[in-house]
Parts: sequence; structure tokens; C-alpha cells
Amino acid sequence: MDSILELQRVTAGYKSIKGFKSLIKRVEIVLRDISFTVEKGERVAIIGESGSGKTTILRVILGLLKPISGKVLIYGKDLYSLPSDQKLQILRRIGYVPQDPYRSLNPVLKIKYIVGEPLEAVGVEWRHIEERASEVLKIVGLPQSIINDTAEELSGGMRQRVLIARAIIAEPEILVLDEPTSALDVSIQAQIINLLNSIYNTFKVTMITVTHDLGVAQYLADRLIILKSGKIVEEGSVDEVLRNPKSEYTKSLITSYLQITGINSLNNIKIRG
Amino acid sequence: MPPSLPFIRLVHRNLRKYRFKIGLSITIAILVLSLISQYIAPYPREGLGYVPVGEENRRLLHPSPQHLFGTDTLGRDLFSRVIMASRSAIIQAFSVVFLSLIIGLIVGVLAAYFKGLVELVLNYLTELFMAIPSIVIALFFRLTLEAGFHVVIISLVTTWWAWYARITYVYAKGVVELDYVVLAKLSGLSSAKIIMRHVVGVIIQPILVQAISDLGSALLEASGINFMGLGLPPGYPDWGVILYEGISEMGIMAFTRTPWLVFYPGLFILLTTLGFTLLADPLREDLDPRLRRRWKLWF
Amino acid sequence: MVLAVRAGGISIGYIDEEEEYIVWAVRGVDLAIEEGDAFCLVGESGSGKTTFASAIAGILPPHAVTRGKLYIFDRLAIDESTWNFNGLRGRVVSYIPQNPGTSLSPFLTVEDHFYYVLRDTLRYDREKSRKAAMEALLKVGLDRGVLEDYPHELSGGMQQRVLIAIALASNAKIIVADEPTSAIDANLRASVLQLLGRLNREYRVTLLLVTHDLASTSIVCNRLAVMLAGKIVETGRTISVLRNPQHPYTKMLLDCVPLLGVKKPLKPLPGEPIQVVEDKAICPFRERCPRAIDKCVEEPPLKPVGDEENHYVKCWRLTGVESG
Repeated sequence: MDSILELQRVTAGYKSIKGFKSLIKRVEIVLRDISFTVEKGERVAIIGESGSGKTTILRVILGLLKPISGKVLIYGKDLYSLPSDQKLQILRRIGYVPQDPYRSLNPVLKIKYIVGEPLEAVGVEWRHIEERASEVLKIVGLPQSIINDTAEELSGGMRQRVLIARAIIAEPEILVLDEPTSALDVSIQAQIINLLNSIYNTFKVTMITVTHDLGVAQYLADRLIILKSGKIVEEGSVDEVLRNPKSEYTKSLITSYLQITGINSLNNIKIRG
Repeated sequence: MPPSLPFIRLVHRNLRKYRFKIGLSITIAILVLSLISQYIAPYPREGLGYVPVGEENRRLLHPSPQHLFGTDTLGRDLFSRVIMASRSAIIQAFSVVFLSLIIGLIVGVLAAYFKGLVELVLNYLTELFMAIPSIVIALFFRLTLEAGFHVVIISLVTTWWAWYARITYVYAKGVVELDYVVLAKLSGLSSAKIIMRHVVGVIIQPILVQAISDLGSALLEASGINFMGLGLPPGYPDWGVILYEGISEMGIMAFTRTPWLVFYPGLFILLTTLGFTLLADPLREDLDPRLRRRWKLWF
Repeated sequence: MVLAVRAGGISIGYIDEEEEYIVWAVRGVDLAIEEGDAFCLVGESGSGKTTFASAIAGILPPHAVTRGKLYIFDRLAIDESTWNFNGLRGRVVSYIPQNPGTSLSPFLTVEDHFYYVLRDTLRYDREKSRKAAMEALLKVGLDRGVLEDYPHELSGGMQQRVLIAIALASNAKIIVADEPTSAIDANLRASVLQLLGRLNREYRVTLLLVTHDLASTSIVCNRLAVMLAGKIVETGRTISVLRNPQHPYTKMLLDCVPLLGVKKPLKPLPGEPIQVVEDKAICPFRERCPRAIDKCVEEPPLKPVGDEENHYVKCWRLTGVESG
């Protein structure tokens, strides 16, 4: 197995620069000493509540935030020490599905331009882009008729499908998903989970999901990385982590989840009833 | 890539609203008038400011079939002067707003998109220009340059672009952090394309609507500068100049003894401004649904 | 038994922007909630559950239109197109909004929040409201220290508890909670839901919980109603509905909920949640239903299921019509 993505002791944070205060640089550390490896073809989920630094990890992986110390290796190359054109080359092999489908689609642009943008950026002719766009729309289960519409009229689930189509149009090898279902209805959430898994199976991508929802993570990942206040508290396969969690935090996550939707509550009904 | 034109659709959607229809009719009427006025004016030479022969007998005539709006202090036909002044109104309002919009849009978008030093410098520059009153600049240019359109337009654009830079900056700031801009950056689209498509393309509508409603204010301010004699030369057909000439000659008595001297140019300024406002208001409501049905709150 | 809420054929719609037609969000709902019940409205987006809840809480927007009757503790709150929520809103019925972060004023301390609410509803002065606030905070498991805090100093879960405490302090008999857990982190959800359940049991507050998560209803509610396109398609005791779902829509919702530690395949039906605009009497689930028959073009009646007490379902398949 080759490692496709590796974070080596990454510490990252945000500088606050505003007005004249830029003379005094303050840095707020969000991630501390994060190291993990993702193998080719793996499905990994990064779990954390809000404020745990999971979005920051994404920004680091996507080349948007240079870590204060540590390295990000993608295909064995240090992302932040590459010249910008080579960095772009690497980033083009990552397909990214952002968090909020309602804020991620340009409201005045036609769907075909939204979906075809990654190909347009590498200079593919529009004829081919349109063909390819209708192909991927078919894969994600959207009707061809919307290709000339804008996104304004689409429902949340359809928007998420458009974003997935855009992410896979350039045939990426890594798929990065930021809370792919948190804004969706239950039945649409299930549709999207099934769609993502079928994409994983057909295209043999590596899938990295960031979520706060253990239930979703169990469907979209084989391995879990659990994050708390910028540190990894637990890492392991889904079965391992769910069956015998080592850290207290993971245990509390699992119990509270079970209290809400888990088998426990359904069992309780049977006992009570 | 041909962008779809949502602004056209926005206008189309509003075509059946009454206010919009009225505003559109007034605007079109003034535009047409500015094109044909020199052909329909009964005394085109007087309209341009030439004092007629035998002016002593024609000074300050009351409105009559011969002189619909009466005559001014130099015996010129006021009707010709007022309708021919529509051209200067249109030229001033549109060129001030258009130039300010272009400059402001570029500065605002660049400040929002390229953060850091560019943002800092452009924002301070914007604030600096917002602080300067246009009258002062007009005075400065009037003392150094010949009278003419350029004084009015330069002095207004110098201060106005900063307002467009500010609203563009505010709108653009809300857009540049959105995920579609991030996605476009990740796929390696050039900055110019990202700015045009994902920033300007998204925020242009409210700014254009703002520009349309500003046409009226631009006209008012330009008339103000002309009224003070800082812009166009005396005698030029312009509502501000006509008012200035009337009032400077007659003093406060202009309102009582020769009301037509102030009434007609004032009426045209009012009508034109109203037209632009009626045009822009429905569009603004359309873009911001919170403004809809506001009138119901009053009952 | 006293009925806390009784709805008789109530329909709620919104006037379209151009005032051309009315979009009906709730369409002819009959419902009775007994005092002391913990009732759950389950549905996906567009099902009309939030609209119905805001009608009970008395916070319908001014451009809403109503038909039918709504009684709250035998007081007529909605009579056809006229509403009268005076003395009900904030006093008898209290509302807990979806997003605690945006529902508390950032300029007021927690104590001020209590004071302004209690001053307007119960005419309390500072002293009295402070005492009531402390009592209520104790009930929701917060200590009195938070009284001096500003909302941003509290976590999402704590903000939600403060909102629940405010509802409690105003002596409301009915608490309407609109998706109280959707804006807070997964690990805090259970505690907020359990808190609501505890208040219902210990203080006999009637609870109306709006949620999209069918599985989470079991830890709070004793009765539930599943809504689809403005209509109730299945209602009954939580236990009997969850253990023995009858309507194909309810079954699908249960199939779609990920259960931790159980690797069952998720089985969503294709299609989107339906938002019917025209007021046609058809079964709203017909388009997506795997078991649809010809009869489904007509709207099925709400029929009792087997010998289960109070379990009703709206489906032709279960009323003996099996042809097709």
C-alpha cells in the first residue's frame, strides 16, 4: 500500500491581521502536532465537534492554510514547499465537496459552467466539457434538463449532487468531503451516502470525510480519526473504535449517540413495551 | 464563457409593476427629449443661450401660447431652454454614475479579493476620498480650468467613486469567502476569471440597481454645482444654470414675481429624479425580499 | 383529560410574493394533544411541521393565511382566518427556537433575558425575575453563575438550556420546541432531549417537539405524528409506530436513519420530499411509493391500525384495498 496523504506533526493556526494591528502578530493555534497517514483507496473519517479543528485540517490538506510547523505530503511531495504550479497540479487530483450546499453554488451561473469549471481551468474545449458534464450528472443521478438552469431553484439534495458531480468531473484520485450530509433531510442524507459509496466503488478513489456525526461516518469510512480541541485522541478502524473505544471522549461520543438514535433506544422500547 | 444575464431577467420580471412602468416611461421620455429637443424647440438658438434681437421687449414675459414657459431675464424662450437642458442633465447624470461605478467596482473588488496590504491601502484611499466634499473640488477645478462639463463630471466622480468602492467592497467581502470561490481557486482558475465570474457576476445586480437610483442624486448634485455657477458657463442650457440665472437676477423675488423662472427647471429636475427613483425601487425590492410588502406594516 | 391543543381541519398557507396564489404548507390537519403529553411532529423539509408548530406557538408571519379551527386549552386561537393569541403567546405557550445562537441577544446578559420576558408576560420586577430565573436554571441543570454571563460565553448546549429555562420561568403550560437539537453538536443532543423529556415528566409541561429524526423521538415522546406535504400520514404512540410502522413513508424514514454499530444498508426511496403546491386530494407519497396502486390518486382516509390504541395511518394499502 502506498500512502497518498501524510500529515507529519502539523501545527496550524490563524494569524489575526487587521489594520494597524498588523504590527503585532497574534497567532491562534488550532491544530497541535497532528500526524496521520491515509493509504491509497482508503475511506477515512475525521470526527470532531465544532471547534475541534476539523475544518482547519481540511484547509491544510487543500493547500489553503500553510501550517506553522510540520509537513503535508501528498503523493510523497511536500505540498507547501512546491512551486505554485506544481502545487496546483497536485491539488487538481483532489476533488472537494464543501460543507454547505446552499452557499457553495454560484447563484447566477448555469449548472454546466459550475460542473465544468475544473476542466475549463485546465483548458479543455467547451464541446468536450459539456459532454463530460452531462456524463457526470448522469452518474450522480441528476436529470439532463437542469444543465442550462441556474442553481437557484434546486433543492439541497440536488445541490449536493451538483457539487459531487463537479468534484468528480476531472477524475480525481482523492475525494475530500466536508460534512457531506449535515444540511440534508434524512432520506436525502441516505441517498447521498449511498451515492458516495457507489462512486467510491466505481472510481476507486481515496475518500476523506470530515463530520461530527458518528452514524454517517460509519457508513462513509473504514477508519476513524477522532479529534478533540486540535488533537487526535483516537485512531483506528470503525469496528475497533466503536467496539472498544480507548479514550474517554470517544466513549462519551458513542454513548450520547446511542442515547439518541442507537439500538439502545429501540431495544428500550421493546423492553418497556 | 458567456454569462447569463440575470440583470435583464430582473428588469423583465419587474416590467408589469406600475411604479416601474411609470419610472421607465419618465426616463425614456427624458432620454428621447434630450435627443430631439433641438429639433422641436421653437427657438433653438435662444435655447443654446443666444440673446435674441430686441430682447428689451421680451424680458420676463409670462407664459403664453407663444412662449409656453414664458421668457427669462434676457428675453430668451424658457421652454426651449428647459427642454434643451435635458441633454446636459442626461450627460451629467449618466457619465458621473457610469465613471464612478467603473472605478469604484474595480477598486472595491480588488480590495476585497486581494487581502492584506492591497486591502488596507485601497480602503484608506476610499475613505480619504469619501471625506472630500464635491463642491470644494468643483471650486478648485473652476479656478484652474475652463467652465464646462468636465468640471462637473470630474469633481463629482472624484468623490462618488469612493461610495461605489465601499458598497462593492462590502458585497464582495461577503462573497470572496464563499465556497464557490474556494472551489474555483482549488481547480486553478485564473484570478481574473474568478473575479469576473464569481465575484463581480454575483454582486453586480444590487450595485447596478444602486447606480440607477443614484442617477437622480447625481443630477441633483450636478444641478447644485451648476446653480452655484461652478460648472457650466452662463447661458448654457442646463437646469441648474437656468435656475442660477433666474435667481441671481431676480433675487428672492423670483419665487413671487416670476415664478416660472424657478418652477419649470425645478419641475424637470424633480420629474427626472423621480423617474430614476421609481425605476430603481422595484428592482431593489425584488433583490431584497425583506423590503416587500413594507406598506402593509403601516396599516 | 384536558386537551392542550385541538386542531380541527386546520390549513395554513402563505401568500405568494406576487399575491397570485397561496402555497398551502399545512392542509387540513386534525390533531389532539392531551395535557401532559410529549408529542412529536416528524417530517422532512417542506412537510409543514414548522408551520404547524408556529401556529400553535402563535408566531405565524403576517402573510400567512389560515382555515379551520385551533383550540389551545379550550380557547379558540385560530377561527378560520382570524387569529387571537392574546394571553396565549408567551404565557400559555412558549417557543424554543431552532438556533440558540441567533435567538439570544448578544447585548443582554442571561438575567436581562429573563427579566425582559418575565416583565412583559408576568409583570415581574427585577428581584422576582431573578428568583424565578434561578429556580428555572436549577431545573435545567445550570448553576446560577450563568445569570451574569453573556450568550457568547455559553456553549450551544448551554444556550439551548437557557432558552428552555426562560420558557419554564414564564410558567408556560405548553412548550413548542422547533428542532432544538439541529444546531448543536451531536454529543450534546442527547442531553438536551433528555432534559426536555424530564421537564415533561416532572413538571407536567405539555411538550410539542418538531424534528426530522424519527429515531430520536423515542427518548422524549410518548406520541408522535409523521407529516408529509402538509398532512399527517401516520400517528400513534411512539412505541407502536416505531416498532410497527405502517405507512411506507414512515418505514422509509426508519430505514434511512444510520444506527451506530448496526451495519444495515440504508434504503432511501428515490426522489425528493414532495412539496405540493396545488391543493389536490391525492396521496402525497404516491410518486415515491414502491407499493402505489391505482387507487392512490385519491386521498386515503386516516384509519385505525389493527387493535393498537390510537394508532392511525393514511394509506389505501392498509384499508383493505389491495387490488392494483
